[in-house]
Amino acid sequence: MNHTQSAVELNPGPQRTPLHLEVNGQSRPVDIEPRTTLLDVLREQLDLTGAKRACDRGECGACTVLVDDQPMYACHLLALQARARKIVTIEGLAERADFRPLLEAFVANDAGQCGFCTPGFAVATYAALRRYPDADAQQLRWELVGHICRCNAYENIVAAACDAGKKTVDSG
Amino acid sequence: MAQELAVVGTPVLRLGLAEKVRGEARYTADLKRPGMLYGRVLRSPHAHARIVRIDTSEAERVPGVHALLTYRDVPQVRLDADLLPLDPQLRFVGDEVALVAAESEAIAEDALRLIRVEYEVLPAVFDAEEALQPGAPQVHPQGNLVGGRTLQLERGSVAQGFAEAARVFEGSFHTQMHAPVGMETRAALAEWDGDRLTVWKTSRAVHASDRQTIARVLGLPLEQVRVICPNMGGGFGNKDEGRLAVLVALLARRAGRPVRLEYSRAEEFVAGRNRQEAHMHLQVGIRADGTPTAIQLQATMNAGAFVASGMNVTRRVGQGALYLYTCPNARFEGMTVYTNRPAGGSFRGLGAPLGHFALEVTIDQICAALGVDPLDYRLQHHVTAAGQPGQRRTPPDQILPDEPVEGGVPFSSNELRACLLAGADRIGWRQRRQPHGTTTGIVRRGLGVAMGVYKGGIGREAEAEVRITPAGRVVLAVGGVDVGQGSTTVLAQIAAEALGVPMDRIDVVMADTGRTPPAHVTAGSSTTISTGTAVKEAAEDARRQLLARLDTIPEPSDPGVGRRDDIVGRARVTAGSREYLTNAFAAHFAEVEVNMQTGRVRVLRYVAAHDSGRIVHPRLAENQVSGGVLQFLGIALREELYLDRRRGVTLNANFLEHKSTSIVDFPPIEVLFPAAPDPGGPYGAKGLGEPPVVPVFAAVANAVANATGVWLRDVPFTPQRVLQAIHEQGKGMG
Repeated sequence: MNHTQSAVELNPGPQRTPLHLEVNGQSRPVDIEPRTTLLDVLREQLDLTGAKRACDRGECGACTVLVDDQPMYACHLLALQARARKIVTIEGLAERADFRPLLEAFVANDAGQCGFCTPGFAVATYAALRRYPDADAQQLRWELVGHICRCNAYENIVAAACDAGKKTVDSG
Repeated sequence: MAQELAVVGTPVLRLGLAEKVRGEARYTADLKRPGMLYGRVLRSPHAHARIVRIDTSEAERVPGVHALLTYRDVPQVRLDADLLPLDPQLRFVGDEVALVAAESEAIAEDALRLIRVEYEVLPAVFDAEEALQPGAPQVHPQGNLVGGRTLQLERGSVAQGFAEAARVFEGSFHTQMHAPVGMETRAALAEWDGDRLTVWKTSRAVHASDRQTIARVLGLPLEQVRVICPNMGGGFGNKDEGRLAVLVALLARRAGRPVRLEYSRAEEFVAGRNRQEAHMHLQVGIRADGTPTAIQLQATMNAGAFVASGMNVTRRVGQGALYLYTCPNARFEGMTVYTNRPAGGSFRGLGAPLGHFALEVTIDQICAALGVDPLDYRLQHHVTAAGQPGQRRTPPDQILPDEPVEGGVPFSSNELRACLLAGADRIGWRQRRQPHGTTTGIVRRGLGVAMGVYKGGIGREAEAEVRITPAGRVVLAVGGVDVGQGSTTVLAQIAAEALGVPMDRIDVVMADTGRTPPAHVTAGSSTTISTGTAVKEAAEDARRQLLARLDTIPEPSDPGVGRRDDIVGRARVTAGSREYLTNAFAAHFAEVEVNMQTGRVRVLRYVAAHDSGRIVHPRLAENQVSGGVLQFLGIALREELYLDRRRGVTLNANFLEHKSTSIVDFPPIEVLFPAAPDPGGPYGAKGLGEPPVVPVFAAVANAVANATGVWLRDVPFTPQRVLQAIHEQGKGMG
């Protein structure tokens, strides 16, 4: 690569840093710049593209992942901040047996159209039901208020969340 | 209808949804190719400027930068009449100046900051009326009035109709510029293999637009260009322009590596295609008994810097005025005007929701003046299955155009009456009805009704291929795009029905120019009816071939025994008819609550009754109607792109400040399908994608008028605008 004098001066901020992130139960080596977001690392370096980049500024929820079991916007965390924390993406959730009722409920209730926001909703619904297993429709609605679905499949998403909740309760 | 159907009309599971929930479904920006670089765009900081000098030498030296493009590096071949791939003249804040491909987006952005551009800033114009004044800044050399003329459509003679009128009602109306806001931003990935090119792109028209445009501008034979739209994260009538694909292909060629470019959310708001602002003036002449004698609508549309499909948008503004009420004399005049705003384009419903707003509010004003119930008025005067009065002009042996202005053409079916009655019954119209603005108090409730007519998706050529493999799988290939509405599922249902096989035997391939027959842009609520007809015929063709093979019992020595070749059924059709028009219809009812002190409008209930013929998939259809209504309730009440009127900078290019509908804003939409199957469409289906959005503005405005006696003429109905209307119309609480 052609490192001219002026180009080196132009390179902003500290150098790239190797780092290990715990993603979906595995320790994954990544190589980041300090300014790199968790979302970009997941999507571009680890090819976990279920978290979508729709706004990149914490406004829509399409990039939601679990960080230490809490739903968080991956676009709003630097990868550095995710160090030594347990990250679970939709791909990781999809492997879990207790995700199955939620998946089935989303499909049975047609809880998505274009599907771009859907993984984010699914992660958030999973987290909400784990935290509030007895939540009713109104409470689930407010748990999901940080997510935008432009196809406006909202009612079906709420119905799916309620259904998944019941199933989780029934089977548990 | 006694036709027994096995798959059509049943709620099978939406194809691909499980993969979407699990995060497996790949969209354009999820794709990666070996050696792929990332592209970014440098955008104009000026609303109108000419590039005097552009120096990329510093940017080129940034480590990790592999290619740059400026207007000097691209073919000066027009994409549209008013659009070059890159142009030294810039026409809005956000117009493309240069592109960079680098090893990461961050590096590409660093490089953008090092491109030195000297601009000659030119006078700019943002308002359509001002742009039409003599001496206004010229956005394009051909003048600011697009096409150099006003679009004029007339049935009968409105001059005569107004002369016959006992009274004439009129009003001016305005609708806002706003963004379509697909959750997925525009993206494209281009990869060269020698002089063969593959492009993955967010697109509604891989065949009709992107592939054609790329081949033409890059001077490639069509066969060397393949365009694929993988999953698409929302279309809503948008994402049809070819500029992005051309630029990314050029960037990849220059870099010698694949390049992926993804718009940021802010770019999507500004450099995606927006809904044009509209100023409208409507006049309705009536006899003493209320019968319309003339309807005339004039519209001035602010197209922004490039017109794209804006002429079609303008034409559809007239749709309600020309077709919704039985009236011998109707006229529409539309001007489409260039300004230095972000470019407009097509968005769900095109202009129809805008013109319907003006028309349906004016009809309610007529009802209020005559003391007639708005539901009764509509039941009496809505256009019927007979169509408009008058003489047919299309020769009898010709297929009718999709939007004839002429009378004398019946509809294949028209169940507006059933929609009005079913909707009124559901919302309790007869029990709740009160005259306009008779309630008192701070919070007032009202009911409103509005109808809609929408072209049902006919008139386009459509193709389909149905392949039955020796293993017994059925592969359905169509060139259109599932923008998220669920056409994959609906077309598979039609194929399964026609072949008599279960859904799980069908694989669907869409939106890939390498594997599907050609297709027009996915637009105009046309997929189910046009492509659906082609799918049905292709499946029937395949079935015939299969049966023909079974006609004779082959000898064991026959080389055909155990044959392993596919059976391929094909069809190319133009949905439409010589005898009748096919349109979709709707009647919507809203119940709202208006706070007279804060100006806040709350929607309490909303009923949407639709005539889209036979419903191929009840749950998907309900989702589509409910989603369309909710989308437009947000647009009715608050969505707007705000522009700095001096500089032309978009001020709220983000989700938070553009205020899309959220999960807690509105009640569940009550969706009704009271109509019988249409005699024309595949299994009796008609279009459904856009009709749900057409009556929404007017239904809400009429409910607000019923609650308060105040007429809203300016969308969105923000608290500020509602309070202003209350004040101006003297309905304040003192």
